[in-house]
Amino acid sequence: VSVSEPTVVTLVARAREGDKAAWEEIVERYAPLVWRVCRRYRLSDPDAMDVGQNVWLLLVEHLRQLREPAALPGWLARTAQRECLRLLRSDKRQLAVADAHLREAVVEPDLSTEAVVLISERNAALRAAFGELPADCQQLFGLLTQDPPLSYAQIGERMGRAVGGLGPRRARCLDKLRRNPLLAGFLEPDGTFKGGQP
Amino acid sequence: VTSSWSGDSELLGALGEALEEARIVPRRFVEAGKAAFTWFTIDAELAALTYDSAGPLGLGTAGAPDDPAALLEAEPATRALPRAARPNPAELRSMSFTSSRLKIEIEIGADALRGQIVPPQRGEIEVQTAGRPHPIPVDELGWFVIRPVPPGAFRLHCQTASGLAVLTPFITL
Repeated sequence: VSVSEPTVVTLVARAREGDKAAWEEIVERYAPLVWRVCRRYRLSDPDAMDVGQNVWLLLVEHLRQLREPAALPGWLARTAQRECLRLLRSDKRQLAVADAHLREAVVEPDLSTEAVVLISERNAALRAAFGELPADCQQLFGLLTQDPPLSYAQIGERMGRAVGGLGPRRARCLDKLRRNPLLAGFLEPDGTFKGGQP
Repeated sequence: VTSSWSGDSELLGALGEALEEARIVPRRFVEAGKAAFTWFTIDAELAALTYDSAGPLGLGTAGAPDDPAALLEAEPATRALPRAARPNPAELRSMSFTSSRLKIEIEIGADALRGQIVPPQRGEIEVQTAGRPHPIPVDELGWFVIRPVPPGAFRLHCQTASGLAVLTPFITL
């Protein structure tokens, strides 16, 4: 079982030492979280770009002082949220809108920012674990998770493999994925996946 | 359907969702985030915002220096206020940033940002924005002019001839 995938704490420590690759890994991992927060506030692409820019600049600025690097995803979500609200407030069309209303005007209002952070952390761990799978597993999962779904016949054809072998292969690959230590915090003791669909 | 198989379906569904979450993010959004690391510096001393004419308590209120203990929760040191809360726009906004050995004072006009480093000395200011850095000379009286005023978030990196390096927080006007 691979343990090469660094934790966010390790990545922050390395970035603080000036390691650009570690910084880029942080951005790759958590840009989807920042993007998701922007989308919650229904920001346009250019506005989301501005917010993203500010969030990462602020992280650069505070990188050395972050007291709890493990809590970075939460920090990013809150900073993104604050930047979204600031942008909406400064928008002339929104000038008269109170903060409370802006806060409520999110997509998926039932989902708290904390819940979004949890889902996003789990997703980041899943992607990182996925990245460590053998190439054929990655290919299989890539095809199995297409939307709209592909049939086994189509998947077999694309992989150049017999359809009959796909089921067992899928099970083997999922087992590899599940045993990745990155996912340990997201699995029940019996090995089933915690939480199910968000 | 066995229980383990249903667990597999859940895991696969969650994986699909995770991959989709990253797939829909524009690459420019990610690349811009990566590029921000250009502005990470280890050598410069961070200067705190110690005065802002558009400060939270009204005209002439000194901004509270960053409390390092509260950084995870705290508002970033310099946040622009909503337009409605700003003082008379005819008055120039001024700000001061203080480090242990150098103070950077700036005044934001319509056409340019003018500033002085104290104690006065020759040096160079680098305007750090999302784009390329612009080096600006600082004369022997410590004065510098940045024209035009940076439109987005920026910060100033000051390098004096005597060897001091000071960095302001990001400023959004």
